[in-house]
Amino acid sequence: MEAIIRIKNLFKSYGAKPVLKDINLEVYPGEVIGYIGPNGAGKSTTVKILCGLLTDYEGEVTVKGFDVKHQTLEVKKRIGYVPELAELYDVLTPMEYLSFCGALYGMNEDVCHDRIYRIMTAFDLSTNIDQRMDSFSKGMRQKVLLASGLLHNPDIIILDEPLSGLDANSVIIIKELISKLAQEGKTIFYCSHMMDVVEKVSNRIVLIDEGRVVANGTIDELRDRHGDQSLEKMFAYLTGKDALSASADALLKALES
Amino acid sequence: MNIINKSFLKLALLPSSFYQRMGVDTLKLKAIVTTKLMMDDRRPNSIQQTRRNKEKKISSSTIGTMLVSGLIGLFYLLFFSIGNDIVTQLTFYLTVFFFMLSLTLISDFTSVLIDIRDNQIILPKPVSDRTFVLARLLHIFIHLCKIVLPMSLAGLVYMLTASGIYGAILFLLLILFTTAISIFFINAVYIFILKITTPQRFQSIISYVQIFFAIVMYGSYQLFPRLLSTMSLDDFKIGSQTGIEAYPVYWLANTWQVLFELKGSTTQAIMAVAGVAFPFLCTVAVIRYLAPSFNQKLALLNSSTAGPTKAKAVQKSGKRSYANWLGKLFTGSQLEKAGFLFTWRMTSRSRDFKVKVYPSIGYMVVYVFILFFNSRKLSLADLAEESTKAKFMVLGAIYFTSFLLIMAIGQIVYSERFKAAWILYSSPVEKPGEIIAGATKAAIFKFYIPIVVFITLAGLVLIGPKVLPNIVFGLFNQVLIAAIMVYGGNKYFPFSLQQSNNVKTGSFLRGLVVLFCSALVAICHYLIYSVLPAIGICALLSVTASWLLFDSIKRLNWNRIESSYQE
Repeated sequence: MEAIIRIKNLFKSYGAKPVLKDINLEVYPGEVIGYIGPNGAGKSTTVKILCGLLTDYEGEVTVKGFDVKHQTLEVKKRIGYVPELAELYDVLTPMEYLSFCGALYGMNEDVCHDRIYRIMTAFDLSTNIDQRMDSFSKGMRQKVLLASGLLHNPDIIILDEPLSGLDANSVIIIKELISKLAQEGKTIFYCSHMMDVVEKVSNRIVLIDEGRVVANGTIDELRDRHGDQSLEKMFAYLTGKDALSASADALLKALES
Repeated sequence: MNIINKSFLKLALLPSSFYQRMGVDTLKLKAIVTTKLMMDDRRPNSIQQTRRNKEKKISSSTIGTMLVSGLIGLFYLLFFSIGNDIVTQLTFYLTVFFFMLSLTLISDFTSVLIDIRDNQIILPKPVSDRTFVLARLLHIFIHLCKIVLPMSLAGLVYMLTASGIYGAILFLLLILFTTAISIFFINAVYIFILKITTPQRFQSIISYVQIFFAIVMYGSYQLFPRLLSTMSLDDFKIGSQTGIEAYPVYWLANTWQVLFELKGSTTQAIMAVAGVAFPFLCTVAVIRYLAPSFNQKLALLNSSTAGPTKAKAVQKSGKRSYANWLGKLFTGSQLEKAGFLFTWRMTSRSRDFKVKVYPSIGYMVVYVFILFFNSRKLSLADLAEESTKAKFMVLGAIYFTSFLLIMAIGQIVYSERFKAAWILYSSPVEKPGEIIAGATKAAIFKFYIPIVVFITLAGLVLIGPKVLPNIVFGLFNQVLIAAIMVYGGNKYFPFSLQQSNNVKTGSFLRGLVVLFCSALVAICHYLIYSVLPAIGICALLSVTASWLLFDSIKRLNWNRIESSYQE
């Protein structure tokens, strides 16, 4: 099978500070990739490069065979992106905001309206569709953001901490949705710090640390390699911070004086 | 912290042992007030907010505030030249003092003095209510001192030279009273606003109040000297105006006179007593009734989920709205229409845009008023004959009112929610210029076309159909200027920049250039005003140029858009 995302020898630095150091990755249609790593490891940078937001990188990145650097628009058309803690124009209503997004993707207006109604209804927001979003709770906003990432029916969906602010029921819906989308052949790139969720939703886990891929495989493969333990433990071990309990001790000591 | 804040802090904490006996933890008190003052120093004040230069971090805005207040106070000295009795002069002086103080405080109260973050940061910590309330009071006190003292300095010096030490002390007392009334007034306004609206809408109502104030200020600066020039100033006596006895500031002025001369008529004596009693009553009302319920309500401001609030539904989500119809009619592509609708909606709803642009509407109303004020000598016959004066009026109406359009176009690129523009950069937009073209059209249709329609109607009634070619030509020129402004400078997406980047290289200069061009075009227009064929040809040229420019704007590609998208 042809890889839908192909990253080869990817380097990227901000000024003199290298952020990504030789990332290599291939993702296939229908896969749910759990993309994890400590703060500042380069997760968001990778995602921004995949979305075509950052093009000053070195190496080769293709999405569905399109070169991200030179065929950025073709790539953007095929990706649905939900950034972490994204802002939205909250003086607009969901209908207005999402129609605007649809227009940016060149969607047919009627199809777009119809989809917005259906997505919002599925999210249990049908009564809020014509209300300004400035009174919305965090979870409601997150649902609108998710809708904006799904609206144009993209082949690849990139989610950055998509569950933040959602209540337990909505979390179940989203998790279910992710696996159903994957069954339909969509590719999902899932970035998160919540190890238990990543463990459950992804069929492959990619762990990066200091700009390098340090682990790449299914959860079972990782367990074979690193012992039968939780993803959380493996994460700590692989990112070289197995002295975590020492840190906790030091913290405790600091309070004693 | 600078020396001024330090000394105010020392002064405020002087009665520490007294505070302690009241049950206040003075260490915590000092910590809170110190932090608050430190934050004040780094925050642009209400006067500096409108200033453009924000490149460097604000570090000592206290001194700036005090200097500006001092200058404003100097300006008030003008009022001591009105009439020749001190009551009249003081009434004017204190009235303006009252309004300026209220204007300054009305914005500071929400942003500075009653910081809703306190609810999250201070309340969960073990700080007693008394300590917290006292900290708040001291903070308000210091803040007031920083505005009131410099503002009254010039007046104080004047009073000292004019009527000696005793007069100056009495004057200080009046300033204190005026401040008390001002605080009462602001509290009352706030309570009133909170009563008629939800805490969520509070902020936007406050900004409307600020807009209203700005217009009143501008109007009075424009009209006041004109009104004065029509009156004989030297023997103007405020006491001879009917109904003045019901005006609290007039009582204050009388208080000064009665206490200074220690004599006066019965009416004067009554007013003097009222002048002392009123500020006290105000203070009592604030402390007993207004402040508690005010704080309570303000605490609600922060809780975003204050019950199931009825969110404001927007009338039409369908496709039949007026904006939609305009968008369909005047934009070419789907993308351009999206930009048009987006800008149309954002401009009527985003608070920061309204605060920046809507005052200009008020300025224009004031301007039109002045125009009529000046042109009372102009007869209808003059207008119909198209005399020089009439030409000036028509062109003035067309070209001066474009000020609003220029303001709007300059401002649509900014937003508090500038980060939300990520959606524009992550979507597969081929010709980003179309969004910008749509946004520009929305600004023209929203902020200029209604005025032109109004001018046309007025022109048709007053002058007749022969004014039409000139109005149309003027309209085309304004559209052209707007297009030049966008193509030559503002190549940004609508609502995608942070306001504080406003400074960027010569945006002020660019504004001046635009105004200059506008004036130049107006002069050329004036020269050919009566030559119909020339107007026709030029209008044709102008509209063609606009059309070509809009076409170029639409074709702007990603490389030409001055992107603000960074990490």
